[in-house]
Amino acid sequence: MTTDYKEKIGELVGIEVIVKNGIDVEKLRKLLLAGVGAEFFTYYYYTILRMHCTGRDGEGIKEIVEDARIEDRNHFEAMVPRLYEIGGALPRDVRQFADLAGCPDAFLPNDWENVEEILKVLLEAERCAIRSWGEVCDYTATKDHRTYGIAQAIMQEEIEHEAWFVELLSKRPSGHFRRSYVGQSPHTKGHGGLQHLS
Amino acid sequence: MFRVCNVSDIKENSLNKFTIEKKDILVGNRDGKLFACDNSCPHRGASLHKGIYKGNNVVCYMHGYEFDVLTGKLTNMKSWKKSDTWIEQNPAWRESGNLIMYEIEIKQNEVYVKIPPNQ
Ligand code: FES
Ligand SMILES: [Fe+2]
Ligand SMILES: [Fe+2]
Repeated sequence: MTTDYKEKIGELVGIEVIVKNGIDVEKLRKLLLAGVGAEFFTYYYYTILRMHCTGRDGEGIKEIVEDARIEDRNHFEAMVPRLYEIGGALPRDVRQFADLAGCPDAFLPNDWENVEEILKVLLEAERCAIRSWGEVCDYTATKDHRTYGIAQAIMQEEIEHEAWFVELLSKRPSGHFRRSYVGQSPHTKGHGGLQHLS
Repeated sequence: MFRVCNVSDIKENSLNKFTIEKKDILVGNRDGKLFACDNSCPHRGASLHKGIYKGNNVVCYMHGYEFDVLTGKLTNMKSWKKSDTWIEQNPAWRESGNLIMYEIEIKQNEVYVKIPPNQ
């Protein structure tokens, strides 16, 4: 495939409509790249965090960490196709991708043997994810319905993730029981590359 | 120069977002001094009007970086560390530019900003 597609098919109407609604496509690409970067690296760092959820306390939270871990990977899968649709791309070099991620790396704390410290890192990561997808929702609401739909679905799960960790760190009453299966992503499963979940 | 609003729309110590030519700009008033800049945080693009003031700085609500609203300079790169046992972020991830400031002018009680065409 060459890049001279414009001569054959003209401008992409899918982009034209959002531009007409006032979307700055370059800005949206940056926001989405930061968002999917945060998800990708959260998945990576949650893998390490989960490996350290051992002992009586650690085993107690392991499954919830795993739900959040797989759902954050799902968020990456759900939004990356949209990034490409609007003419964006993942950086060729993963190092560059890491530097552009919208949220801090959820590093394993030195005192990880205290499960509470692991939970605090997890909570911080989810809070950043809520703010970051909130930006995308605010920017696209009523202007880019497709991006909004995906970001809004992700946001719903991030808010649930925050609640899970808040409830583990406190005695806040909660309606949460458990997912039907690991990484169920009840809100995002219909999007992007997640057909296997729907 | 683009007309933004009336001077009275910008309350003292407020942070206000306006969309001019598809661009989100921040117009604020810090202790009586008006300023205008791009509303996107130079770090990762969060909307600065959602932030708060701390002295002459606007604190970004996303990662807590602080920028002097009168000079545009990045004045504090907040650490993500909540305790000594946390490891600091990579310098390349932390890096950020300064605010993109816009010239502001008041004419007949109306606020105008100058946005260079390439921005
Ligand atoms: S986006 Fe503003 S501090 Fe990171
Ligand atoms: Fe996520
Ligand atoms: Fe999450």
